[in-house]
Amino acid sequence: MKFVIQRNQLIASVQDVMKAISSRTAIPILTGIKIDARNHGITLTGSDSDISIESYIPAEEEEMVYVEEITEGSIVLQAKYFSEIVRKLPEQTVEIEADSNLQVTIRSGKAEFNLNGQDAEEYPHLPKLQTDNSLELPTAVLKSMIKQTVFAVSTMETRPILTGVNVTLKDNKLLFTATDSHRLAVREMNIETVNMEEINVVIPGKSLNELNKILDDTDENVEISVTNNQVLFRAKHLNFLSRILDGNYPETSRLIPDQSKTTIHVKTKELLNTIDRASLLAKEEHNNVVRLTTKGNDLVEIIGNSPEIGKVTEEIAVSSIEGEELKISFSSKYMMDALKAMEADEVKIDFTGAMRPFIIRPEHDGSILQLILPVRTY
Amino acid sequence: MNTWSEIAQVQPLASKVITNSIKKNRISHAYLLHGDRGTGKEAIANLIAKGLFCDNLIDVEPCNTCSACKRIESKNHPDVHWIEPDGQSIKIEQIKNLQKEFTYSGVESNQKVYIIKGADTLTANAANRILKFLEEPSKKTTAIMLTENTQSILPTIRSRCQIIDLQPLSPPKFQEQLIQSGLTEENAKLMSALTNNLKEAIEWNEDEWFVQARKLMVQLIETIADNSNDAYLFIHNHWVSHFKERSQQEKGFDLLILAFKDIIYYHVGKEDAYVFFYNDRERLERLGMKYSQEQLIAILQQLLQAKQRIKQNIHPTLVMEEVTLQIQG
Repeated sequence: MKFVIQRNQLIASVQDVMKAISSRTAIPILTGIKIDARNHGITLTGSDSDISIESYIPAEEEEMVYVEEITEGSIVLQAKYFSEIVRKLPEQTVEIEADSNLQVTIRSGKAEFNLNGQDAEEYPHLPKLQTDNSLELPTAVLKSMIKQTVFAVSTMETRPILTGVNVTLKDNKLLFTATDSHRLAVREMNIETVNMEEINVVIPGKSLNELNKILDDTDENVEISVTNNQVLFRAKHLNFLSRILDGNYPETSRLIPDQSKTTIHVKTKELLNTIDRASLLAKEEHNNVVRLTTKGNDLVEIIGNSPEIGKVTEEIAVSSIEGEELKISFSSKYMMDALKAMEADEVKIDFTGAMRPFIIRPEHDGSILQLILPVRTY
Repeated sequence: MNTWSEIAQVQPLASKVITNSIKKNRISHAYLLHGDRGTGKEAIANLIAKGLFCDNLIDVEPCNTCSACKRIESKNHPDVHWIEPDGQSIKIEQIKNLQKEFTYSGVESNQKVYIIKGADTLTANAANRILKFLEEPSKKTTAIMLTENTQSILPTIRSRCQIIDLQPLSPPKFQEQLIQSGLTEENAKLMSALTNNLKEAIEWNEDEWFVQARKLMVQLIETIADNSNDAYLFIHNHWVSHFKERSQQEKGFDLLILAFKDIIYYHVGKEDAYVFFYNDRERLERLGMKYSQEQLIAILQQLLQAKQRIKQNIHPTLVMEEVTLQIQG
């Protein structure tokens, strides 16, 4: 294997795949970066077996030549050393050459490194996913869907399936659902052109957080495809693979109440700030509880109280209140998370009594739904 | 040992049991392989894993050339998980990671194998955690546990596994192998009494430390037999500085036990069983005169107990002094 590559391109790619590499791995080969040289370009792969990232550097793009003198081949190099070496090389071009004894020479200007490589055959074989069975989504939309749901996944390992986000596609509707059994976040999206069958997978929350970090804010599309044990997100020159969680995701649609007894319309920002202030005196060991009380037709009182610290009371004017009077307690943290995910100036909150879950939705948008279970207080 | 036919020479029974279940496609969800050092536990575990992953099985034999086989051999296969004791025991953290692993789909296929080495060193908490997924194995998961001592494994775990007992290697066969590898007959006998592992035996044979340890043991026995008070001085001057690690101390006791066993053999006239004093009949005779059979049996019991105590973290110098005191009785 041999090629000459522009250093800047290589640095960017190495940085991307390094995000998948963990220093604490049980499988020795995964401490390495796999380099695949093909006539059309170079592919770098990093993996911690949960997620894998492939970064592609085309030989030529838009009349720029990135990679030259390619002899095909593959090798695995120690990620720790390779990334440092690439970063500190003196010249703009780098020559990488591997011989049949897995000895790798990296040359740039007058600097020459000899590294011991590992056999690329030893590297996990990532599934080859077909592109004709896939779903396309603008990057920005995917990122916001992740952000609006992933915070609600469970961090407890007792019910492992809840540490993931349930992604389903049915009747041209893409649905992200996350719950930790105290709250639920759902985001819906209509897809016009679909050329794949129904999907129903649970993607680990950790993987989605990583994906969100690695995707750039561009207008380009991300392609999603699923096999029976991995899901692939394909962006431009970047493949992000994640394993999926095994098991059945609980049925959540029945949890969402369809009628309401009290409805509050309120400015998102104002409510968020008020809850934030009230939460200052709400203690973590008591679920950060704050209490909401309706007062007449356009006033809501928020109280945060910890007898050993103090008490905060704030009244906030709301656009309107419909239905019964209400006194309800809930976790301020969950409420703030939910409000931050709204992306709307005004929200509608539907209550069905103090002991029943309530739902928060943007005023004119049915695609986001946040459900929170109240806390019982006496 | 890379094929079942090679295993069959050493472990005919075990290989038959397992190859039959592979043939009939009835591989158990959990195996507990039980056998002494060097009886081929890891080789068998590797073969079971290869049998599950290899692309071109020839009857039951894995091909050993496909990438799955190669990667299982080098422990790089992403769906084969090795759990090894981290220090003295297998910690709950390691089992937690394994448990997390089980909630995920496989990396390359839906088949998963986990191999737990030294399963007797599982801490109580870790062992109880394992129970959960031994009880409810998810589809296509195979557990292989390796141990030298089934008795120290939780009975609840044992009852959920198919237990496969591996025979100890026959000493004459092993000695033959050792002699072929260039050991003298005397050394081959001694090594075969200490270990069942060919590589280890050859390593020890070339180890300077081991040669010195043997010399020290002969001197120690002489001093003890002379019934002089020098024995304690000897322990402090030589024994303590030479046998530093616990594994070394255990080896030291093994040597002592072998030496006293030889003296008993002298009494009962079982000459072909000599190990420690194989080439030193004169000394053996002299020592034999000093102890009666009853005394020797008592001494052996003391030594076995002392070895147990070392394992229980009792201060080695104290154990050694006590043993000397009792032998001199």
